[in-house]
Amino acid sequence: MDPLVASASVIAASLAVGLAAIGPGIGQGNASGKAVEGIARQPEAEGKIRGTLLLTLAFMESLTIYGLVISLVLLFANPLA
Amino acid sequence: MDEKDDAQVASTDASATGFISPEPHSSMEEYYQLQNELLLLTLLLMVVTFISVWMAYSLNTSLNYLIGACSGVVYLKLLARSVAQLGRQKSKVGKNQLALFIGLIVIATQVEQLQIVPIFLGFLTYKAALIAYMFKALSTT
Repeated sequence: MDPLVASASVIAASLAVGLAAIGPGIGQGNASGKAVEGIARQPEAEGKIRGTLLLTLAFMESLTIYGLVISLVLLFANPLA
Repeated sequence: MDEKDDAQVASTDASATGFISPEPHSSMEEYYQLQNELLLLTLLLMVVTFISVWMAYSLNTSLNYLIGACSGVVYLKLLARSVAQLGRQKSKVGKNQLALFIGLIVIATQVEQLQIVPIFLGFLTYKAALIAYMFKALSTT
């Protein structure tokens, strides 16, 4: 592999994971914190709150996964090499 | 079924001691029901897509899809367990499920018989199930 392509791929992979994790990380932290607050206030609605949290976390975490896929493909199955 | 037993034990403990138990509340039934519904929906989509891919492409591609879809189901299970433990044993949502995905993609890139795209799309089956569940929930309300 061309050293320039290899180094650019490694930098791109690290940026893809890092940048893709920022938004979902903040979102997941906020959602989980608010959910725990909600459960503490209304323990009788725990099931409903946790269910909604599961759905939102699954949606948010897939954003991180997209970045992860790009970086793993760049590192292990680089189409530019 | 163990989860239901846990909820019953927790409620009896709470009534006996007078303290609020950190164990599962009886309202958690709703959560376990949601989990089961999502799992069933994912399995249903998985079977339908597996057969469709087999007919449209080949058995090899459909088996690749199946590997991804099974990993997606395990991922969803791990995420659900992580959410169920949030605020009890753990203070944050675990990242074990991401390790599973990283392992899957790394194996897919290293083994020649495996293809990345069907495995990745198979992994996303759980997301299609989530969207289907959301539409179902919206249509009933």
